[in-house]
Amino acid sequence: MEKKLSKKTLLKSFHNWYYGHLTCFSQEHMQTFGYLCAMLPLVEELYQNEDDKANAMNTYTAFFNTEPQLGTVIVGMTAGLEEARANGADDVDDETINSLRAGLMGPVAGIGDSLVVGTVIPILLGIALGMSTGGSPLGAIFYIIVWNLFAYLGMRFLYFKGYSLGGKAVDFLIGAQGEALRESVSTLGGIVIGAVAATWVSVQTSLKLLNDAGEPYLVLQDKLNDVFPGLLTAVFIIVCWFLMAKKKMSPIKVMLILVVVAFVGVLVGFFDPGLAY
Amino acid sequence: MEISWIQAIILGLFACLASMPGLGGTSIGNYTLGRPLIGGLVCGLILGDVSTGILVGCAMQIVYIALVTPGGTVSADVRAVSYIGIPLAMVALKSYGLDAASTEGAGLATSFGTMVGTLGTVLFYGTATINLLWQHIGWKAVENRQYKKLYLVDMGLPWISHILCSFIPTMIMCKLGANVVEVIKTTLPMDGIAMKTLFTVGSLLPCVGIAILLKQIVKGAADFIPFLFGFVLAASMGINLVSATVVAGMFAIIIYKLKILSARKPELAGGVMDDEEEEI
Repeated sequence: MEKKLSKKTLLKSFHNWYYGHLTCFSQEHMQTFGYLCAMLPLVEELYQNEDDKANAMNTYTAFFNTEPQLGTVIVGMTAGLEEARANGADDVDDETINSLRAGLMGPVAGIGDSLVVGTVIPILLGIALGMSTGGSPLGAIFYIIVWNLFAYLGMRFLYFKGYSLGGKAVDFLIGAQGEALRESVSTLGGIVIGAVAATWVSVQTSLKLLNDAGEPYLVLQDKLNDVFPGLLTAVFIIVCWFLMAKKKMSPIKVMLILVVVAFVGVLVGFFDPGLAY
Repeated sequence: MEISWIQAIILGLFACLASMPGLGGTSIGNYTLGRPLIGGLVCGLILGDVSTGILVGCAMQIVYIALVTPGGTVSADVRAVSYIGIPLAMVALKSYGLDAASTEGAGLATSFGTMVGTLGTVLFYGTATINLLWQHIGWKAVENRQYKKLYLVDMGLPWISHILCSFIPTMIMCKLGANVVEVIKTTLPMDGIAMKTLFTVGSLLPCVGIAILLKQIVKGAADFIPFLFGFVLAASMGINLVSATVVAGMFAIIIYKLKILSARKPELAGGVMDDEEEEI
């Protein structure tokens, strides 16, 4: 008799992922334990024999990390594949499942980060901030409701879509269509991230040269903005990108460099946030 | 303004839920409770002054709106910003007699938030390191086929990490709030080098977050064009974020259609793509 995962078990698996994908995070294993917890209810329903269970669970001990919201689709797909394997599909083994997981986690993280973290969240927060001006809780409540509905329903949709498509979802994600989708999403993400940076990140210099009368005759920030509005912000972002992408520096190192830059900048008067009590 | 033990304990619990990697899960925890705007609402409710809480939360959210944590690297800790920074800033505002809606008030709030957030990254690495212990137990469980234990490892034991790295630090910092604010006031004056540096670091750190996102998208110089295009939309043309997204969406659709076309008719669309690149 063909084995079919019940809706209840699939939901349990989804909820384990929805809640637990990063609760036991470490730099070494990241989402691996969350993944194991998501697969456990499925494996327990599909296999009665202890060896089969162990065999299935061992598949998911391989390292896993991706953008967790969009990454739900991968969990759904492996649920579909595991069901196929339990029904004796010849073409599904440890290797197919794990090469699929390893092959997808990078591209999905790329789309997910630019879509969820780079686009949806800053936009929702931007709208919410506007609504909360003056101390009204309205914006915060708006964000709580809209983001959580979006995240829960979106992830649930992705899980079940991944489950019903199984291995076929791969074509969609990394085939010609997936390639087109990724290109267009990364352009979308690129443009929105640029707008987010220009709207919410502000690196400014306070450097001024004063003439004898104490009047500033050179305000560097204004000069820079005449060249290209927000020039300093853009330059700092591009330098950070250069250090990480081209010089292979870790974000922590880049941050430490920024601390030094900030300190020296404050000492020479390049940066002055103009704080006073 | 005094923070009572009960209030400090509740704030500590929220810190456990809201952190990244937190016990509220990422959707409800990190991305909802961890956002300073929402933290402002929660702290406001706990401390009995919603409007000040929201104003302080808004000020901190602006600094951290673009701060993201892809690949498990953080440049500021959300639990520290939202559940240590916001309560302390609220206490500080009262102690300095500043209005949260004023520019000085927002400046004070932001500098407290960035200071606590930057120092708080220690808590992030602490939590992740202690979790290694539970994962060690987890691997043993997998080896011995005691799979039920995985739930305990993934969702139960990390509470211990959080009691140590989220609950206790938050509770103590908040309970000592008034004293901590006093110490900061005397040792780190606002116009001193240390505070100026911290504040400047706070304005530079979001650049790292943006750059981490860009790393996923930008491989060479030409890939910077969409980013700079979006930057120009907002910085030079003054278009707001929602409108910029619509413009971006239009470009996304054009590219999608072009790519699909080129997959179907490589020889024809190859020429189209070349023209496109020359125009840029």
